[in-house]
Amino acid sequence: MANDNRISRRKFLGYGAASLAAVAMSDALLGCAHAPADATKGGGASMGYFERFGVDESLIQRGLAAAMSKGADFADLFFQHRVVNQLGLEDGEVNRAYASISLGMGVRAVKGDQTGYAFTEDFSPESIERAALTAAAIATAKASIGNIPIQRTSFVDKSRYEVQTRWEDVALSQKLPILNQLNARALAADPRIQKVSVSLADESGVILVARSDGRVVEDFQPMTSLALSCIAEQNGRRESNSYSLAGRAGIELYSPAALDRVVDRAVQRTLILFDAIQPPAGEMPVVLTAGSSGILLHEAIGHGMEADFNRKGISIYADKIGQSIAPSLITIVDDGTIPGSRGALNVDDEGNPTEKTVLVDKGVLKTFLHDEISARHYGVKPTGNGRRESYAYAPIPRMRATYMENGPHEREEIIASVKKGILCETFTNGQVQIGAGDFTFYVKNGFLIEDGKLTQPIKDVNLIGNGPRVLANIDMVGNDLLIDEGRWTCGKDGQGAPVSQGMPTVRVASLTVGGQG
Amino acid sequence: MKKSSILETARHAVQLAQQKGAQDAAASVATVREVKVGWRDGNLEKISEATTQGLAIEVYADGRYAAVSTSDLLPATIEKICGQAIDMARSLAPDPFRRLPDPKLYEGRAAIDLELEDPVYDTLTAEQRRAFTQKIEAAAREVEGRERIVSVTTDFSDSHSEMARVTSNGFEGVVRETSFWPSAEVSVRDPDGRRPEDYDYAGAHHLSDLPDVALIGRSAAKRALGRIGATKGTSGKRTLAIDPRAAGSLLGRLMGPLSGAALQQKRSMFEGKEGQRIGSDLLDVVDDPFIVRGLGSRLFDGEGIAAKPRSIFEAGVLRSFYIDNYYGLKLGRTPTSGRSSNLTFKLGDKDQPALLKQIGDGLLVTGFLGGNSNGTTGDFSLGIQGFLIKGGELAEPFAEMNLSGNHLEFWNHLVAVGNDPFAFSSSRVPTLVFEGVQIAGT
Repeated sequence: MANDNRISRRKFLGYGAASLAAVAMSDALLGCAHAPADATKGGGASMGYFERFGVDESLIQRGLAAAMSKGADFADLFFQHRVVNQLGLEDGEVNRAYASISLGMGVRAVKGDQTGYAFTEDFSPESIERAALTAAAIATAKASIGNIPIQRTSFVDKSRYEVQTRWEDVALSQKLPILNQLNARALAADPRIQKVSVSLADESGVILVARSDGRVVEDFQPMTSLALSCIAEQNGRRESNSYSLAGRAGIELYSPAALDRVVDRAVQRTLILFDAIQPPAGEMPVVLTAGSSGILLHEAIGHGMEADFNRKGISIYADKIGQSIAPSLITIVDDGTIPGSRGALNVDDEGNPTEKTVLVDKGVLKTFLHDEISARHYGVKPTGNGRRESYAYAPIPRMRATYMENGPHEREEIIASVKKGILCETFTNGQVQIGAGDFTFYVKNGFLIEDGKLTQPIKDVNLIGNGPRVLANIDMVGNDLLIDEGRWTCGKDGQGAPVSQGMPTVRVASLTVGGQG
Repeated sequence: MKKSSILETARHAVQLAQQKGAQDAAASVATVREVKVGWRDGNLEKISEATTQGLAIEVYADGRYAAVSTSDLLPATIEKICGQAIDMARSLAPDPFRRLPDPKLYEGRAAIDLELEDPVYDTLTAEQRRAFTQKIEAAAREVEGRERIVSVTTDFSDSHSEMARVTSNGFEGVVRETSFWPSAEVSVRDPDGRRPEDYDYAGAHHLSDLPDVALIGRSAAKRALGRIGATKGTSGKRTLAIDPRAAGSLLGRLMGPLSGAALQQKRSMFEGKEGQRIGSDLLDVVDDPFIVRGLGSRLFDGEGIAAKPRSIFEAGVLRSFYIDNYYGLKLGRTPTSGRSSNLTFKLGDKDQPALLKQIGDGLLVTGFLGGNSNGTTGDFSLGIQGFLIKGGELAEPFAEMNLSGNHLEFWNHLVAVGNDPFAFSSSRVPTLVFEGVQIAGT
């Protein structure tokens, strides 16, 4: 249906209960339907997982040759199979299940900073060649490349997200007790809890990137998330809140301790809202607690460091590399290597290795987040930040897990230092303008700080600031770094990407609080 | 996939699901062709082109429900996923409210040609698309102050989609739509080092309904240049005018908790408030699905329920909710459709400049930045930017400020409505003026 697709320009971040992009099913279900009788045609080297769909070396050679046929600098093919399952509990019963299966291939041809892109869900050689020729048309010369020496590559000895059992081998009957248990425990936790909903999603994704330099990389990418929402009533008033737990992991993520945490936090975050007020409006000192406060970094600096914005000169950070932009106690990184995290990757969606990239080193701006195009533009190594929502999109520079390294202060001393301000604990979403640098994030739970002590709970308030000014204003950094485990999804150019974020407790000397009175 | 076959594919999937043991089933099949041309600073930046397809099948088996979607429409795959959906459903708890809509709700489909498909689509060439993007950039670079422009990105995207839905209890429907979206984003250099950006766009089902695309480039450049020197104002209670392009999102936040799911799950601030006053007399909104060429127009919704115009807010009083079939059954209420179509505001008689004169001193909000709204309680808090209004005229730009309130109180402050509804959205909201609302700044 028609929609207002300009919204896709926005850079935003959202938490938890947002709708799922896709879902899956067992590969047995799909595999047979696709494996053509001549799956081994061409006689080339094995192409691993995608061989069952007829993808072999000759198909890859043909696709890349077509993509390079008009004189592109480089080209890649991105094959993806993704099966997502989602179960929902409402009003006490697991009574809905959704699955989605996607299988497709995107082809990209790049000439300088220019990109030609096409995709297809049909893996016949003719269809792939047609898509490749469409993408190739970004360049206008005539070229022919010889046979590409295909080199299957892996960048990790051990996957950053190994699972005990693959999701396609986990029976529905193993998942149902998780949802039923959370429901029963949340309802039993407090008589004020009136309604509970739970959703459990799991995903088995496999990608294969084949590049015109011959590199071929395959990756198995599991993902799962569990979200619990509570609605409570007290003296005729209602409040709702939620907690989510997510990662590139298997069902073992949902240990008894993890499920305890989900219930306790969802219930506690909901009930405290009955005592909460909107804080006063205006500028004041703000303490951000360890964990999901990393949303500040995502918005205040992360997007602005994505190299596509900088190569175009439209980021507020475009000419600031090598400059001091924050106090020396601040080091900020974007890290694709945290095992099992939502932002973890063995390889990015362009076939480049991921890494821990230092954005700000002791207050000095160091490195942008690069994809292949920007790395070539700047003549540097890619940082492994080329990501895409699916085969239907060309990759762009995206964050992975963005966090601040520990500093020298104790949490208690940071809180005690504030005479009158707020402490922010949980967040729902954020947004940024990368050129002006203005950003916001929405605080769901927190406290007033009065004379160095936490007093009244607060809720539902938007904080707004300017990236470089706020970073310069962070004057205390705690020693309690925590990577948040919630289900965060970043939106950019209409593409969603799973990300993580983290933070030690910090103090921002002054931020505008969008409160009341 | 050929035009004639999407309906057949949907029928076939429904039959298969029934043969495999579902008592009822519904299938939706879509094919979408989408082309996007991006242009930046005198060069082609990106072209993207593809035709994609999808099938979603919903099965109702032994009082249970599950749904599966796939991008693979091979017959063997469709057969497998039908079986899989039924197996999944049978593993779940029964749900007595999960049924197809009563066929009576399908009846009375309006006999209106909504003109959602432009026959010109297939003749649009790559050169024409590129020419649009170049023309938009050229116009952006002609405005006064152009020497401060850092970058101009323009694009032209268009799509042609065909969707068919079939249910086992008698619904069949096909929708064919085209749409065209030219846009521009302009970044400028502020002497203080910031690089503020703004954008503009248009969209229509028919190519000939687009305005001269040069207007988009000019407007985006003027908007971005207007951000130079933006400062933070003081906190307090002020009068706010909200620009039509931004006002739609505020109305959307008010209306979110009108859903049947929110009502039934006890997370709607509107529970029990039907027939009660929610805002001033000027809050007057109709959901009108029958606007010819309207961006939200339709003859039936995604469940097959026949569309009808209806009042949502009438002179400030809440008249109806968005109740889909499932939550209608759970709530014991007749479904009204769970999705909005075109939202039309009862218009005032003044344009924006006349409203600003009337305001005298206040703020014009041209954009929201982030923030959120709590549908259970009505509390909201949103980042805002725009211009100060001084002596009835637009004055210097402001940024980094915030608007907050509670929807159940806020809309009583609506004191004027413009005659200038936004054309490029299904939310056709005009300039809205609120008096005495809470702003946060310094």
